[in-house]
Parts: sequence; structure tokens; C-alpha cells
Amino acid sequence: MDVSWEWLQQYVSPKCSLDEVTDRLTMSGLNHESTTAIDHDFCIDLEVTSNRPDCLGHLGVAREVAILADCPLQIPEVKFAESDEDISKLCSVVIECPELCRRYTARLVRGVKIGPSPEWLARRLRTIGITPINNVVDISNYVMMECGQPLHTFDFGKLAGGKIVVREPKPNEKIAAIDHNEYGLVPGMCVIADATKPVAIGGVMGGAETEINNSTRDVLIEAAWFAPGSVRSTARKLNLHSDSSFRFERNTDIEALEWASRRCAQLIAEIAGGKVAKGCIDINLFKPERKPVSLRPTQIERILGIAIPTDFVRKVLAGLGVQIQQESADEFRVLCPSWRKDLSREIDLIEEIGRLYGYDKVPDNVTVAMAPSYKSSQTRMIDKVRRVLSAAGFDEAMCPSLLPEPWSKACSPWTDREPFISHQPMLGVLEKGSQNVGAVNCLRRTLIPSLLEAKRINEYRSNPDIDLFEIAHVYLPKAEGLPQEPLMLGLVSGRDFAALKGLVETLLRELNPEIAMRYEASKVEIFDINRSATIQNGETMIGHLGQISAAGKKMFGLRQNTTVVELDLSFLATQVVDVRRHQAISEFPAVKRDFNFILAESTPWVDLEKTVRDHAGPLLESIQFRETFRDEKRDGAGKKRILLSLQLRSKENTLSGPQVESVCDAVVQACQSSLGATLAS
Amino acid sequence: MSSGNLLSIDEFLGELNRLLNNAEKSFAAAGSLDTLEEARVEFLGAKSGQLKVVQKQLGQIAAQEKPVAGQNLNRVKDAIQAAFDAAKERMSVSSIRGEVDPAFDRTEPGNPLRIGRMHPITQTIKELTDIMGRLGFTPARGPEVEDERHNFEALNIPADHPARDPLENFYLSLVAKREGHSALLRSQTSTVQIRIMETTQPPIRVISLGRVYRPDTADPTHYPMFHQMEGLMVDRNVNLATLKTVLQLFATNYLGKSVPVRIRPSFFPFTEPSVEADYFWNGRWTEFGGAGIVDPNVFRAVGYDPEVYTGFAFGLGVERLCMIRHGITDIRDMYTNDVRFLRQF
Repeated sequence: MDVSWEWLQQYVSPKCSLDEVTDRLTMSGLNHESTTAIDHDFCIDLEVTSNRPDCLGHLGVAREVAILADCPLQIPEVKFAESDEDISKLCSVVIECPELCRRYTARLVRGVKIGPSPEWLARRLRTIGITPINNVVDISNYVMMECGQPLHTFDFGKLAGGKIVVREPKPNEKIAAIDHNEYGLVPGMCVIADATKPVAIGGVMGGAETEINNSTRDVLIEAAWFAPGSVRSTARKLNLHSDSSFRFERNTDIEALEWASRRCAQLIAEIAGGKVAKGCIDINLFKPERKPVSLRPTQIERILGIAIPTDFVRKVLAGLGVQIQQESADEFRVLCPSWRKDLSREIDLIEEIGRLYGYDKVPDNVTVAMAPSYKSSQTRMIDKVRRVLSAAGFDEAMCPSLLPEPWSKACSPWTDREPFISHQPMLGVLEKGSQNVGAVNCLRRTLIPSLLEAKRINEYRSNPDIDLFEIAHVYLPKAEGLPQEPLMLGLVSGRDFAALKGLVETLLRELNPEIAMRYEASKVEIFDINRSATIQNGETMIGHLGQISAAGKKMFGLRQNTTVVELDLSFLATQVVDVRRHQAISEFPAVKRDFNFILAESTPWVDLEKTVRDHAGPLLESIQFRETFRDEKRDGAGKKRILLSLQLRSKENTLSGPQVESVCDAVVQACQSSLGATLAS
Repeated sequence: MSSGNLLSIDEFLGELNRLLNNAEKSFAAAGSLDTLEEARVEFLGAKSGQLKVVQKQLGQIAAQEKPVAGQNLNRVKDAIQAAFDAAKERMSVSSIRGEVDPAFDRTEPGNPLRIGRMHPITQTIKELTDIMGRLGFTPARGPEVEDERHNFEALNIPADHPARDPLENFYLSLVAKREGHSALLRSQTSTVQIRIMETTQPPIRVISLGRVYRPDTADPTHYPMFHQMEGLMVDRNVNLATLKTVLQLFATNYLGKSVPVRIRPSFFPFTEPSVEADYFWNGRWTEFGGAGIVDPNVFRAVGYDPEVYTGFAFGLGVERLCMIRHGITDIRDMYTNDVRFLRQF
């Protein structure tokens, strides 16, 4: 809201400086953005919150200043002579859509002389950035900027049938507005029509055909109330925002619009000449139902934390236009003014009293009792995950939660259900090179596509060592209702499958040293079938990892080898060992023995490991996989060699040769009998 | 017989002891490698060192006493040598650290250890939760996909409120039913407060943190997804002074010293009174976030009696704090995930 300092002083005469006034306005809710010197005046830009349409006119701001600077508010007296012609004989008004327009008043001034506005008026409009057009149009703008009620003036001679019909548009109806563009009208919009055609878009903009011009003689003044929601959606649909729509959207004062109409008639008669027809057509479907509000002084201190003198309370209420109907020691019964729809409850009044008393008087050093706070097990786990990944050289990424459809379709390991779709796409979130992929409107069901895109961007920029992780929720639709939102960890890296598998195993054991993991074939389409796995814990899928296949790389524009991992942190949070228990360690030295087994290609490492573990006995400390290699010449086809090391140790003594030999014999025998494995010579 | 030529064993041993004594003293007194070398020549010199001189006297010892004299000579010789070695080791550093190798360049870089970095948003969130934790606020999480009750209705945002406009929100539907919407991406983390209050009785001190969504086109200062932190405190005697005190403690903690904090009136549907909080930093008032006393309608929506309990809530944008903290000028950089950007923090 732009305010002219010179204009404002017509209504209030604060004894303090302009800077002090704007400071006090800021501290009482009208945030001061700037002051600009214009001509011999100042334009003060105030930020008005959406609950305060009363401050979208100079009078409303003046009312605040009057309270803050403790000076009287002077509201102009509206007086004008009326002619003998009765307006009801000259024109008529019908409201056909009471939902969109609850009150419409028409006033008529006949025999005006259109010309430039007087300098005082033109200058005030110029100060607040409104270009003067002609006296009648300027006056309607002036009154809007005075009291916050938008007005419209029609060239009455061009209104067919002298008639105003407030209605919804007819099919395919169009209007040429005063900005000389044509707008198509659709149901839900409020049209002001004459007997034959639309002449204005109610509350948004007037029509070109009936606008005031130099030949206008008779002026019809419209002062009406239009439904905020309808004005908002109309202005948005037509992309036609005006000072008028801005005010109607915020709910104008339906009870005060008649004052604005009279004020406008008065100024037109004074400035442009002409005679005001007798009376006013006022179609009013609004029933005032302001209820008294109870204000208890005890509640003021309970909410604000400070006691406020009753005299001050009375003064503020009076200044705001709140009528005190009854007063006792513990209660005020008050009626709030029509221009303050935001005041309907005790708490609303407490805010008024507080903000005008000054929040600077509220202390910032009261005693607040101490209270414990907790860190959830999941938060602790996430901290640990971040530490491990940081040590592994992975940088943390953050990606948008929505994906373009092709990426969403490419990969969905956690669910077969279709994703949630957003009606609005995310705009401006795709990098160059991905902008032709499609609208970003699918809620992601996995972190993998986002991370592949992050890697692509880094590859494109020739960045070395692209190792990224993200911790975020994914959105898995259920049969109905809100989706399930498990927390996921995603990794993307240029390292190979074994490196990432090693990292996953390290990470999982860091969370729970005893965690059971099983690796099975992965069904993720963009994974290389021979370099991928799902990770199972019993029947639960914990996650999956895989190297991206050639086709997958092509789809995501990747040039370098890429491996990804995704782990379900919500599940892992249920498995985590938060506080580890101590285990006694042996003080005796360990003995290490290597085994080079020849066994069938079809025997997986886990089987070999289990056989060894089951038969090595209590002296076994650890089994270490060393390598697998193949030597068809020596071992024949379908065979492989696995080299592994056992570490043995006793809690009771330094191991003797026979003790070690007996473990080795048992292992070799078990591998021979249950797996057909032989020791390489 | 020329017995006058014979040296008594006692005299010989006395000579040896004197020699050892003098040698030890000289070696110990040597202040440089040069003087030590002089002392070495004096006592251990191959041609005319004092040890050599005494050794020559061995021939004058009676034959039956020669073994004893020889043993002592060797003992003293070893002792002098040991004293010399000790002195040299003490003095000569290079002798224990090897010879200088001209091929060694101590300015060549070592093998770097690559440590991953936490996202600057994560770091800011951690800082904020740590501070709030010290003030007794426990972090809480809630779903990002919400229903209209939690995102609007319970927060005193009625159906015709502009904030519920379809163009101002990411309304969602399942592909199967593209018409109508059952859910939306939350536009604020206040939804979590509703969920907490629905299931918990006061006293309450929580912060909710996480992603929120509004359909702004991404530009240097906007992104359709961002992070909020909101605090909520509900008890029997919470008021605007409590709020101001907590904000003051928070700012002091965050900025590392006590700074002036002010509140000025604002408007949010879910608080009444509503305020904007600013702190005075680097010579100007900097916007901190929105706050206020929880609106009685919100309490009624979750079944609290507003005549019994009061509460305050405050919220702030994590991105803005993070950008000020690190001097980041384009919010989009935080979501592009260029590793050169991520490794700066």
C-alpha cells in the first residue's frame, strides 16, 4: 500500500516526524518497506497483511496513526445537493448471482464536464503511482485510495436500457476491457451487464465500451461488494490483476461501501460539475450479524505476559472503532467495527491491544522451566550412517521429491503401484540436457533416478570422484489413503559392484554387527543382471544394489560406469544396536591358515563360508574371503578356486600345532564331504 | 736382569683408570664434533693416542701378570670406545637419522584421504536441532504427503482461504483417479504439530523439521521444495514473553553472542497474536522467522482447552539461514548436487 504523506495529514496531524510514524507503523503491524520523495511529497510503501484490508486506504492507515501518535482522526464530512430527479426512475439494478455479489449500489451524476483533475488531486494520485486520466476516473481511484472501497464509473448514456444486471456470463460471452484486450468469460465469474451486454468484470475491470471519455455527460457510480474467492479466481484466470481486484480479494467492508459512493458523488459534483440524482439504488442481500465479544482483562496478561493498564485498553478500543457496550471489573462487552472482519474473538482483541501497546514492552528474559529433550534412535542411526558415508568419501546430495514420468517408470523396486501424480509440476528444477524429459510431476518411489541424474550432471561437468548419497523419504502408494513414506538411503558411485557391496556390508554391520543379510537376484530393470542383488533380511527386502546396465546408462545419459545402492533406513532403524555390549578379548596370539579350495562353479561363497563356520569349532575367530580364480587347464571346466583365510585363537592358551591341525582337518573334511571341495595341491 | 724396566701391575692399572677417567671427562666436555674428534685422536688415535701409549707399556709387565693386565686393558679400551660412541650419538643427529637424500622433497603432497561432506542444509539443520535440543525441544517428524485436515483445516485455514488455492499447492492424486485430489505435499511443517497434539497431552516442546513444498518456479531465491523448522511449546503458562525469551536464547545460541531480538505484528492463520521476529546483526534488522501464540481454534481442533493451555509456535526457513550462513547466493545450487559445490562446506 503506497501512502502519500501529504494526503495522510489531511486526516491526522501527528506531532512526530515521518520517520517516527513509519517506525511505529512497522512495530504495530504495517511493515515499512520504503519512503520515496516525490515532488513535494513522500510516498510511503507499507506492507499490509492479508487480514487488514481496512489499511488499503489512507483513512485506515490514518486510524492506526491516530492511535499510535495519540492525535484525533478527522474523517471528511460528505455533503452534497441532490437534484429532484429520482434515480429509481432513471435506472435499475438486479443481482442474479447473490453468491458472487451480495450488495450493489448505483448513484447517478448527470451533466458532468469531463476534463483534467485539479492539481491537488492529480498530485496525490501521482505520488502513489497512479497516472491521472480524467477527473471522473481519477475521483473513483481517489476514493478507493482514500477508504479502500473500489468504485467503478460507467458512462450512463452507453448503458443499454439504463440497466445494471449482475449475473454470471452467458455461454461464449466476451468483453473488451478498458485495457483494450478481449477476455472470454466463464461460469463462476461475476459479470456486470446492461440490458444487452457485459459492461464490466465485477470487481476486476471495467469494459471499454462504457468507460468514461470526453463526451460522457452522465456518470453511474458503482459501489458494490464482490465475493473474494470469485474475484481472486477470475483475476487469476484472466491474468488481470488490478488495485480493485486486490481489495475485493481481501474482503471489502460491505457496510461502508455506501459512504464511498456518496464520497465519490460529492467529489464529482464538486470537481466535474453536474447534479447528483436523488437517492441511491441499493440492492443489499447482506444481513449484518456482528456479535458482541467478551474481553477479559485477565486474559490479556495470560496471553501477552504483561499487564496493560485498563485506561490504555479503553483508549485502543475507542481508537479502533470498537464500541464498549458494557464494562465491569472483569469483562468488557464490545462490538467490533464492520471494517475489521478480523476481529471476532477475544484473542483478536488481545492482539490489537498488544500490538498497539508495543511488543517491545514484552520482556525477553523471563524464567522458562528446563525440560529434557530426546534424540530418537532413528536420528542417532542417521547420524551414524552419515559418519560412515563421510568416511567412505561420499558427499551428501539433496534431490527434488518429484520426477519426470520416464524416470519414475524406469525403476521402482519397492512397489508395483503407480506413483502419486501432482496436479502442478515442479518448474525450473531440471538442468539443461534433461529439460525434454517431461513434466516433473511424479512423486518418487525410489531415490535411484534422482541420483542417476545427479551423477549425469557431474559427469557432464567433468567432475572427478562422483560419490553421492541422499537420505530422504520415498512415497509408496497404498490401496487407499496417504502413502507410506519410508526413509531411504541412496548411493550412486563410479566405483564397482564389489566396492559398493563392501560399503553396504560395512555400513550394515556398523548398525548391527550381527545383522543377517542374504543376497538374491534383483529384478530392477536398469541393473546389469550379473552385477546386481537385492539384500534380504529374512523375508524383508532391506535394499538393493547394482551396476547400471548399458541400456540404463543410455536412458539416464550416463557415460561412465555407475553403481547404485538403496537401503530402507526405516526398517534398519528397527534392527539397530544403539549401545554395544563389551566382549572379553583373548590375550593369546592368533594363528592364520590359508585354504585354496577347488570346487564347482555352482557352489556360492555363502555355502562354503557356512560349511567352514559350522565345522571349524570354537577356536574360529574369523573367516576372510581372499579371491576367486579359475584355471580350466588344471582343474577342468565348471570349476573354480576360492582362496580363504581362517584366523584361529583360543581364550585359554597359545594354540598348539595339534590344536590348529585338528581344526584344519575338520574344515577340509567337511568341505570335501558336503561340497565336494578339494584342496589345491 | 733389567728389573728396573718392569712396570708393576698396580701402576699399570692405575694408569688405565686415569686414562679412562680423563677420556670420559674429555668426551663429555666436547662441545662439538670437531673437539670430540680431537679428543678421540688424543685417546684412541691409532698411532699415538694415549691408549696406544699405555698399550705399549704392556711389554713391561711381568709375564705372570700379563693376562690380568691384558684383560683390564681391553675393558678400559671398550669403556673408552663406548664413552666416545655415546658422546658422538649425543652430538651427531645425522648419525641416527640417516644421510640427507637430495631426492627427498618434503613439499610433495601426501596421499589425500577423501572425506565426504554433509549437505549444507543438513549441517544447518543439525545446528538448529542442537540448539533447540539444549532448550528442551525434541525433534518430531511427520508425513510429507498430507491430507487437507492437517495441512489446512486444523490450522485454522478455512476452505475459501487463498492458501488453499490449487495453484498455490501441489495437490496429488493417484494415476488411476486423476480427477479430484485426496492429498497434497505439505506446504508447511505445522502439520507435524497437529499430529503431535492429536496424540499427546501437554506439556509439549517439539520442533518439526523437514521438506515442504510450494509451486514457485525455481529461480535464485525460490525453489518449489525447501526446508522448514518449526517449534511448538504448549503448557499452562506459556505467553508472548516466553516466546520472546526462547527466541532470544535461540538467537544468542545461533549467532554465538547476545543480540537484540524484536517481534512485530504479522498475520498467520494458526497463531493469534502473530509476529515476525527479527534479530539485529551486522548493523541491521534481519528477518528470522514467523511466530505467535497458537490460535485457540487450533487447540480446539486437536481437543485442547484453550482456557487451560496456551502455547507458542515459530517457524523459519532453513534455506535462508543456510544461505546467509555460508554466503550462498543461488538456492538452486543446493539441489543441483555438483560435487564441487557440496565439497565446499
